[in-house]
Amino acid sequence: MRHVNEGYIVCRCEEVTGKQLEDAYLLGAITSRQLKMKTRATMGACQGRVCRQLVNLWLSKKDQCADKGVEPLSYRTPIRLVTFGELAGEE
Amino acid sequence: MTTESADVVIIGGGIIGMATAYYLAKLGSDVVVVEKGEIAGGTSSKCDGNILAIDKEPGFDSQMSLESQKLVSQLVMELDEEFEYRAPGSILVCESDEEMEAAEMWVNRQKEVGLPFRMLDRGEIRSEWKYMADDIHGGLECATDSTVNPVLLTYSMAVTAERLGARLKTHTWVTGIRLDPSGAVEGVETSSGLIRTKHVVNAAGVWSKPIAQMVGIEIPVEPRKGHILVSSRTESIGTRKVMEFSYLMSKFGKERKVDQLTEQYGVALVFEPTASQNFLIGSSREFVGFDMKINVDVIRCIARRAIRFFPVMKDIPVLRSYCGLRPWTPDHLPIVSRVEEVPGFYIAAGHEGDGISLAAITGKVMSECITGQETTISIEPLHYNRFKKEAGKR
Ligand SMILES: Cc1cc2nc3c(=O)[nH]c(=O)nc-3n(C[C@H](O)[C@H](O)[C@H](O)COP(=O)(O)OP(=O)(O)OC[C@H]3O[C@@H](n4cnc5c(N)ncnc54)[C@H](O)[C@@H]3O)c2cc1C
Ligand code: FES
Repeated sequence: MRHVNEGYIVCRCEEVTGKQLEDAYLLGAITSRQLKMKTRATMGACQGRVCRQLVNLWLSKKDQCADKGVEPLSYRTPIRLVTFGELAGEE
Repeated sequence: MTTESADVVIIGGGIIGMATAYYLAKLGSDVVVVEKGEIAGGTSSKCDGNILAIDKEPGFDSQMSLESQKLVSQLVMELDEEFEYRAPGSILVCESDEEMEAAEMWVNRQKEVGLPFRMLDRGEIRSEWKYMADDIHGGLECATDSTVNPVLLTYSMAVTAERLGARLKTHTWVTGIRLDPSGAVEGVETSSGLIRTKHVVNAAGVWSKPIAQMVGIEIPVEPRKGHILVSSRTESIGTRKVMEFSYLMSKFGKERKVDQLTEQYGVALVFEPTASQNFLIGSSREFVGFDMKINVDVIRCIARRAIRFFPVMKDIPVLRSYCGLRPWTPDHLPIVSRVEEVPGFYIAAGHEGDGISLAAITGKVMSECITGQETTISIEPLHYNRFKKEAGKR
C-alpha cells in the first residue's frame, strides 16, 4: 500500500482517508469492527455498500489473517433509506 | 494447549469486564481477560452511552450513579484514548399535568438530598427545543448527567489496561471453572487451555448465568431486548439527552397512558445526539430470550413514539437499526459480589440498562474487593445473596 497516496478516500460517505485507517490501525484498531468504530468507515449513508470491500481489502493487505469479524460489517435493516415517517406508517 | 497463570481471570470483555481489568491492573494485579468474541462485541456495543442519575431513586441507586459519573470524568484524564465524553445534563419531558405533578415530587426528593435537579416550564422547553411538539407540558433537568461513546470507552479501558500489563485473550471461550478439593477456585478452562488462578470474575453480562452454573450457583440474570434507530446526519435537533417522564410513572404507582403496542414492547422515547451529527432514538424493553433479530413492528412503534415528541423527524431518514440484550435482574440492581460458597469466585453482572453508567464504579469496587481493600461505596446491597433469600421465602 506504500505507493498509494495516503490522503485517498476509502469511505466517501464519511470522508475517511487511508491515512485515518492507518492511524487507527497503529493505535490498535486491528479488526474490521474496531476500524469501523474508530473511523466511522462503512457507517455512512450507503452503509458501507461502496466502501466495505475496500476497507476489508485494506485490512487484508495489512494482515492476511486479520479478523474481518464473525460479525462482519454486515447490512442491518432497513437496507433502503426510509424516513422515520415512512417507518411509522405515516405519509 | 498451554497452561498459564494469573492473579485474576475476568470472563467477558464488555464494558464491565474491561473496567474491572483496568482498575485491577492499576492496582498492580496480573490480569487476564477471556472474551469469546471481540472486545465490546456483546451488549456494550449495542446500546446508548448515557451516564444518568436523572432516573435513579434518591439513595443508594443515585449515589452509585453519581460516584460512577465522578470516576468517568477522571477517566478522561487517566485513560490513553478519548471516548467522546461530554456532561451536558439530561432532561425528561412530560405529556400531562399529572406527569408534571409527579415530576415535581421527583425533583423535590432529589433536591432534598442535594442533587442538581430542577423543573423546566413549557417556555424553557420551547426555547431549548424548537422542534419539540407544541403540547409538551414541561419537564425536568438533571444538570450533571453525562454521555460517552460506550465502545470507545471500552476500547480505551482495554488499551490502558494492556499498557498496565493486562493480557486480553479474544476469540477464547471459557468452558469450565476448576475448583480445588476444598471448593475454592484454582483455574479457568478455556478453548486455548487452562489458566491457573485463585480469583475469577464473572463479567459475562447476559451470559453470566451459565458461567455461574459452572460452579453450581444460580443467578437470576435474563436478557431484556432493546432496539435503537440511528438517523442520518441532519441539522441539529438538540444537543443533549431527552427522555419521556412517563416511563417513571410506575415509580409513583401510576399507569402509563400509551397505546397497547407501545406498552407491550415497552417503548419509551430516548433521544441521544451523537458526536457524528446524527442521533440515536430508542428504545424498547422486551423479554424475548436471546433473539437478536430486528423486529420491524417494534422499530415502527419506536419511530411513532419519536414523531409524537419530535414531529420533524417524520422526514428524517433512518440510517440503520440495531438491538441489544440488557442483562436484567429482578430488582434492577446489578450483582457486584463475592460468592462465599466458592472462595475466589466473584460476580459483576446484571447491570440491565445501566451498565455504561455503572461500569466505572463496578470496576473500581471489584478491584478493591478482590485486593482486600475497603470499597469506595458499600456493595452490601449488590450481594448475590439477596436473590438466594428471596428464593428461600417463596
Ligand atoms: C438498547 C440498549 C440501550 C442501552 N442504553 C444504555 C445507556 O444509555 N446507558 C447505560 O448505562 N446502559 C445502557 N444499556 C445497558 C448496557 O449496554 C449494558 O448494561 C452493558 O453493556 C453490559 O455490559 P457487560 O460488560 O456486563 O456485558 P457485555 O458487553 O455483553 O459483555 C459480556 C461479554 O462476555 C462475553 N462472554 C459471554 N460468555 C462467555 C464465555 N463463556 N467465554 C468468554 N466470554 C464470554 C461476551 O462475548 C461479551 O462480550 C443499554 C442496553 C441496550 C440493549
Ligand atoms: S462509502 Fe463508506 S459508508 Fe458509504
